[in-house]
Amino acid sequence: MSAAKAGIMVVLAVPFAFGEYALYQMSLYFLYAVAAVGVGLCWGQVGVLPLGHALFFGIAAYLAGFVLIAGDNAPWLLLLLPLAALVAGIIAFAIGILVFRRVGESGPYFSMITLALSLLAFQVTTNWASLTGGFDGLKDIPSLPGLDSTMANYAASAAALVAVLAGGHWLMASPLGVLWRAIAQNERRVALFGFNTNLLKAVAFGISGLFAGIGGTIYASQQGFVTPQVVGFGLSAELVIWAAVGGRGSLVGPVIGTLLIGTLTSELRDTFRFWEVLTAVSFIVVVLFFPSGLVGLMDPVVRWLDGKPKVRDDIEAPVSVRNGAPPRRLKIDQVTVRAGEVLILDRLNLDLGSKGISCIIGPNGAGKTSTFNVVSGEMRASQGVVTYGDLVLTRMAAHRIAATAGIGRKLQFPSVFPDLSIAENLAIALWSGRASASDLLRPWVRRWTSPLLRQLRLRYAFLSSGARKASELSHGERQILELSMAILTEPRILLLDEPCAGLSPDETSTVIDVIRWASEATGCAVVIIEHDMSLVLKLADAVYVLHNGTLLARGSVKEIQANEDVRSIYAGNRK
Amino acid sequence: MSNARLAFVDLTGGYGGAIVVRGISGNVRAGEVLCVLGRNGVGKSTLVKLLMGHLRCWSGEILHTGTAIQHLECSARSRYGISYCPQERTVFDDLSVRNNLTLMGDNRDLGRFEAYFARFPILKRRLKQQAGSLSGGEKKILSFSRALSEGKGVTLLDEPSEGVQWENILHMAALINDSKRAGASMVIVEQNLEFAETIADRYLVLDQGRVVLEGTRRDLNREDLLSHLHV
Amino acid sequence: MQDLIAAQTINLIYAVTLLAVLSLGLAVIFGLLGVLNLAHGEFIMLGAYCAVVVRQNGWPFLTAIPLAILVCGSIGYVIEVLIMRRLYRRTFDTLVATWGLSLLLRKSAEAVFGLTYRSVETPLPGTIDVFGVPYPAYRLAVIGLGATAIFVLAIWYGNSRTGLRIRAMTGNPELAQSLGLSVKRLAAGTFVTGTCLAALSGVMIAPLVPVFPYMGLDYVLRTFFVIVVGGLGSVIGLVYGALAIGGLDSAVSAFSNGTYGYLSVIVLAIAFLWLRPRGIHVRG
Repeated sequence: MSAAKAGIMVVLAVPFAFGEYALYQMSLYFLYAVAAVGVGLCWGQVGVLPLGHALFFGIAAYLAGFVLIAGDNAPWLLLLLPLAALVAGIIAFAIGILVFRRVGESGPYFSMITLALSLLAFQVTTNWASLTGGFDGLKDIPSLPGLDSTMANYAASAAALVAVLAGGHWLMASPLGVLWRAIAQNERRVALFGFNTNLLKAVAFGISGLFAGIGGTIYASQQGFVTPQVVGFGLSAELVIWAAVGGRGSLVGPVIGTLLIGTLTSELRDTFRFWEVLTAVSFIVVVLFFPSGLVGLMDPVVRWLDGKPKVRDDIEAPVSVRNGAPPRRLKIDQVTVRAGEVLILDRLNLDLGSKGISCIIGPNGAGKTSTFNVVSGEMRASQGVVTYGDLVLTRMAAHRIAATAGIGRKLQFPSVFPDLSIAENLAIALWSGRASASDLLRPWVRRWTSPLLRQLRLRYAFLSSGARKASELSHGERQILELSMAILTEPRILLLDEPCAGLSPDETSTVIDVIRWASEATGCAVVIIEHDMSLVLKLADAVYVLHNGTLLARGSVKEIQANEDVRSIYAGNRK
Repeated sequence: MSNARLAFVDLTGGYGGAIVVRGISGNVRAGEVLCVLGRNGVGKSTLVKLLMGHLRCWSGEILHTGTAIQHLECSARSRYGISYCPQERTVFDDLSVRNNLTLMGDNRDLGRFEAYFARFPILKRRLKQQAGSLSGGEKKILSFSRALSEGKGVTLLDEPSEGVQWENILHMAALINDSKRAGASMVIVEQNLEFAETIADRYLVLDQGRVVLEGTRRDLNREDLLSHLHV
Repeated sequence: MQDLIAAQTINLIYAVTLLAVLSLGLAVIFGLLGVLNLAHGEFIMLGAYCAVVVRQNGWPFLTAIPLAILVCGSIGYVIEVLIMRRLYRRTFDTLVATWGLSLLLRKSAEAVFGLTYRSVETPLPGTIDVFGVPYPAYRLAVIGLGATAIFVLAIWYGNSRTGLRIRAMTGNPELAQSLGLSVKRLAAGTFVTGTCLAALSGVMIAPLVPVFPYMGLDYVLRTFFVIVVGGLGSVIGLVYGALAIGGLDSAVSAFSNGTYGYLSVIVLAIAFLWLRPRGIHVRG
């Protein structure tokens, strides 16, 4: 028996176990739970905390109220009811797109914008009395035909909750859910795999708005009135508390939080006046010390109910769009980058060619990593252009450069997704350049494999223990995992930033083998930033020396070693 | 080793899970300069950060006049008698040059900086200017003067000459030699061999996080040192 | 007509000063520690309740000042040691934690004082003529005191040794530590200063507004808007922000009503958050 089935049985048992009033209470809190699931989805999965989520619940409730009132005379209008929830979702998506695109970040400022919007909505609904009924709200909203008994309302709320949970479960199990969790851990890395993270975050926010909207739509019919309270701060705050205390990381968490805290609050608010102080304390404790909430405490039970996960066979992934395409020439032309007064790159010219393995060396602060950042679109050049073949990269967003030009990258410090499993880490790399938008909604796409992945697993046994979390790996293994991920995207140009930093000599020599093998197996061009000269000696077809943001010298390893200018910057002299 | 002002034994450490410094030992006595050389990325700055307490030692010992200090946090080590010039972010950018110099002193009197102003008149001219508006080399000079003037027993300098004109590097060397005569001990990370040769009493040459060469300036010849610095 | 202009002008000055003073505590904690203290409004609320309490007991109004410093200073210190200390540099976590804290303080005030609105009798009754317009004496005192407080804080921050050390710690914590500064103590001091400033501004507004547990909510948003619009890290920015937010609110309210004033403030703040999150005045 699974945890989901157990939950459904509880829902079915309530009408028989408790009285009419409890049933009425539960139907209301099921609707709040639907909205809280949305908050949990945003906060627990994507790491975006909406402080004003009642906004979407309320928008849908008002819209549904208008439709239901109008539908009294023209029943066909009731067909528009689903639009109320949908509009709430679309508004949330639009807010997400506008804000994420503009501000880029999704931390405190986003939370504050949602809070401000919810207060704005409260003011509007309170003051636009001719439309909304002002402070007293919309009254005498007729219920949906057929939903006039307590039992029917309970059934409708329960159905909505089950539907939202099922939908949420599917999303979390699909590649989209994995990408959301990856964004919460390291958004930059996701973008460098070619995914439009702002869009993915906005989708998450839109869906959570839709969930809140579903709750709000049914609320209007069930309660028969809608007041400005449903868009305002109070409900927004409760949703956050419920999601947190129940456990924002799972879908059931917010539901349990809502039903437990919500119903207890409505019981105890008047009799025990420190009850809400207690809730606030438990919120702080949970947020700081038990991010997985009440559900986290029940984890062993859930696992026992669910039993062992079934191991299913891998599925062959479609061929990468980049497969076999010959790399084109990567050229940096007169590129200047400034940070305030400081010139980081100074009219840098670098023709990295289109094949073989090149190494970039140079003293600290020479502009090596900045060069990579300009190529992958994370740093803006104030002058000059970067081209890949005839494609101009200079004004493109990082995710588009990764996706369109096929430029893969391994960062200086190993950037894997620590809280995802090894299998999920590798899968994200496989989806890059292969998964279509609809693939991201197909759970089985998580089982993709490719010939390269099989070969990597032969070389590194730890890549096969897919269920282990990446955070459990040693530093060396994380370096190798990230390198493998970069290779799995089958990039045309692979940029490696100090791939052997912090590795033992043994680990270093296996990494050297893998880099050489990858460049031959995928036909990609490799550019490496490296300090370790033993690696440069073994790998480099060409060496580029950067100094003070410009190219000091280029040539074979021998030529560079003999170069007087290079010798002088490495040993210092009377400059 | 018993008479060492600062000694470190079998020091290991790094960032996150990455080992950068692998079991390095060394020491410096009163009135002595230990120069740490090596190509970039070999662990020189990491070693100094371990000594100052910006990074936690994974294993090994740091002794200040015989007392173990590796468990102390950075500000406590400073109060113990260690000054530090970082390689990057060398000054407080939004404080004036004057406030950078006098931030920690008992008074704001500039008298104790006269020797430095004589060598680096630019500092005196720019006293009121925000330190953030100085060039990289000027910041290094400011940071260097601030650290040396603290007059603590041990001074750690991480690439003090980077971006500084040769003429001013010679002034730095003269000031270092002055404090050395006054009994100061220094650990100096350098890339510029010619500068190192004018100040070093002993060398510690690193590669891949380990000591590959060490000895007094008399023991080691230039070619040996260069072989570890060139690419 | 002239009277009307004079009255509106002094109203504007009053609104802007008040807002700037209310924002000081938030600006200190946000600007120097990078913590967006969502419980800022609740510290204002607690300060205002201190005034309520001293008045209820028949003590002089000014005794609310030491009481507010004692109450909010100790709460601030405990919070810093128990919660904030482990969260610095994790902006998002501090947001959630202080949001929970605001809830806790609000609900505690509700449990202790109940939901009723309280009012505090003004310590300076009567009016004073300004340009021929009679104006409440206490409001004039607020303008005077507020402007002085902002001025003194600006001077202190720019010149005092502690002010310099706090700036050093904020700008380059690694270097500050290696110079022997105890970042822990400075940070705790800064946090407590911020909560005390909030509490004092709460004492100051107590005679002007109804005092109730939820009053902080409005202030935290308004003062956050001031900082968003003004830009972090300087007193000048704070004054710009208060001018923009307070000015817009007063102007729109004067021509229509208070609700539209509030609406326009929210819209302006959202526009800034969206288009120019670093504000009007960016330091350096």
